[in-house]
Amino acid sequence: MINIQKYILPDLDIMDSTEAVSACVWQPDRTYLVLGQSNKAETSLDMVAVLADQITVMKRPSGGETVILTPNTIVIAVSFATETLKNPRAYFHTINESIMAVLAQHGVKNLLQKGISDIAIGEKKILGSSIYRKPKRVLYHAVLNMAEDISIIAKYIRHPAKEPDYRQGRSHAEFVTSLMAEGYEIHIEHLMAEIRERFAPENNGAMAVLLNG
Amino acid sequence: MRYIFKFPDIGEGLDEGTIAEWYVVKGQQVSSGDALVKMETDKVVTDIPSPKTGVIAAVYGKIGETIKVGDPLVEIEMEGIAGAAAVAEVQKVLVEEVVEEGAGVVGTLEVAGNNAYMPASEEGVDADAAHVSKPVKKALATPVARAMAKEMGVDINLVTGSGPAGRVMTADIKKYFESSKRMEDQAKQIPQLAEDRISYKPLSQLRKTIAKNMINSKHSAAHMTMHEEVEISELIRVREKYKTILAAEGIKLSFLPFILKAVALSLKKFPSLNSEIDMENNRMVYKNYFNIGIAVDTEDGLLVPVIYDADKLSIKQLAEKVTEIADKARDRKLSMNDMKDGTFTITNYGSIGGIFATPVINYPQAGILGIGRLIEKPIFRGEEVVKGRFFPLSLSVDHRIVDGGEVTRFVNTLTAYLNDPVSMIIE
Repeated sequence: MINIQKYILPDLDIMDSTEAVSACVWQPDRTYLVLGQSNKAETSLDMVAVLADQITVMKRPSGGETVILTPNTIVIAVSFATETLKNPRAYFHTINESIMAVLAQHGVKNLLQKGISDIAIGEKKILGSSIYRKPKRVLYHAVLNMAEDISIIAKYIRHPAKEPDYRQGRSHAEFVTSLMAEGYEIHIEHLMAEIRERFAPENNGAMAVLLNG
Repeated sequence: MRYIFKFPDIGEGLDEGTIAEWYVVKGQQVSSGDALVKMETDKVVTDIPSPKTGVIAAVYGKIGETIKVGDPLVEIEMEGIAGAAAVAEVQKVLVEEVVEEGAGVVGTLEVAGNNAYMPASEEGVDADAAHVSKPVKKALATPVARAMAKEMGVDINLVTGSGPAGRVMTADIKKYFESSKRMEDQAKQIPQLAEDRISYKPLSQLRKTIAKNMINSKHSAAHMTMHEEVEISELIRVREKYKTILAAEGIKLSFLPFILKAVALSLKKFPSLNSEIDMENNRMVYKNYFNIGIAVDTEDGLLVPVIYDADKLSIKQLAEKVTEIADKARDRKLSMNDMKDGTFTITNYGSIGGIFATPVINYPQAGILGIGRLIEKPIFRGEEVVKGRFFPLSLSVDHRIVDGGEVTRFVNTLTAYLNDPVSMIIE
């Protein structure tokens, strides 16, 4: 029996921030499997593999499908105050655009926003994101695959019940990639610092306008 | 007064959501803005706030249940609000009604206000009113037209107005009445179909995918098709010569490898035909590789295997690839890997029949070339009338990406290659 823990990872704290925009970019210390709000472990996970490897399983408050966090990934969370409740696609678009701009500075090419909330290199996904929305604050969080071997996804996570159009039934191995697998060896600490910079307080004004304007 | 709050459109373009958690129970006091329920859609979990202050009188749906936008979520008993105040309260939410004098019109015009989509919007309906009518949007009309509609039993809010600012005129009421009556009469004339005259078959996954992709293409791209004929006597001669030679090596040489080569070379000269448009990011995406899909008619349905880097392959290598994918298609061995990353598509329906068509673009590609059956007709060669052999071409493009001039130049280049196939080798 898998014990599903409450989501206690660092990014949730910024949901209570009083800043106009607050960000948390962090590197997981070990492997976690994070279920989406309505995912069930028995249908989303390969229970035998998860139990055998004693992987920590949590359930996050936001939507979307199950994700894996490992030290070869980074988690990007942004929360912001909002008085108006815009179409969530606009939030995904604005924040993903900022992340893509940072990646582009490192020479990453053919970056595209795909599905509702993914970033892809060509047709292969490198970042997935989801949103938790309270009446006056929104939390966006995403996982960016820096260098994780895709086989680990298939090892623990079953093919999702819902998939974006562009996946077209592809297996995890065919659908997901990493920056390293695509030939981009980017220093993880540098990239995290640059993404934090994008959402830093001095840039909050511009970001808040983008998100609420 | 009882107020029904319905699941609002939370803006993802989805029409349903799953109840993740209830924050309220029947009998609980809530204030406007308090979270009522946590709802989940594909990528978003959102707390839905109460639009009103009152007591929860009913809660609809269980955790894990999927409900549609517009389905009731809760009923709220709004204490101390009754009679005219209740009506006014509903109107505040239901329709922001503005009254103004219409110029040149006798009487008063009523204009429905715009509605917010989230959270306390048109989803809320007075419980009593909900059983009587759904006045979501009030029509703009003169009192005369309203009186006529009432007399004829027409719901004026369903009538499309042809007057200034969409105002409903008496002529619109008459037209609507006659049209409704005609439809009713036609409906009465449709005979009951016996069950044995119709049979049903569940859609296969492939058919569902084809249907979805076709509709997506038609809805997303601005289709435009150009038709042309290319004289291919020289191509026939060259093919005949090398067909025998390659047959000795076990390679079947059809016309398709020549067409593939001609298309690949033409795409290199006209990159916009090998691109896609990225509206979300306001940019064009040009592909510096030329992966050409071949639409294949299989027993299961249409499949589009791809010949990768077609520009780098010789006609002989293209012939081998065509044979390979045809064999795979016949043996049902095509995998997703064989069908992804195409940048342009060719559909050779002429091998079955047909001359011209309007092929549907394999979205998000910029174009698809249809090849009709070989046709023969007399042509002038100098002063002589000789037999000409033609391939009919039908090129559909996404007009958002490519202009007519560019399409014509592309077709001119393509036909030049096919008309003189040796030029492809010389290049």
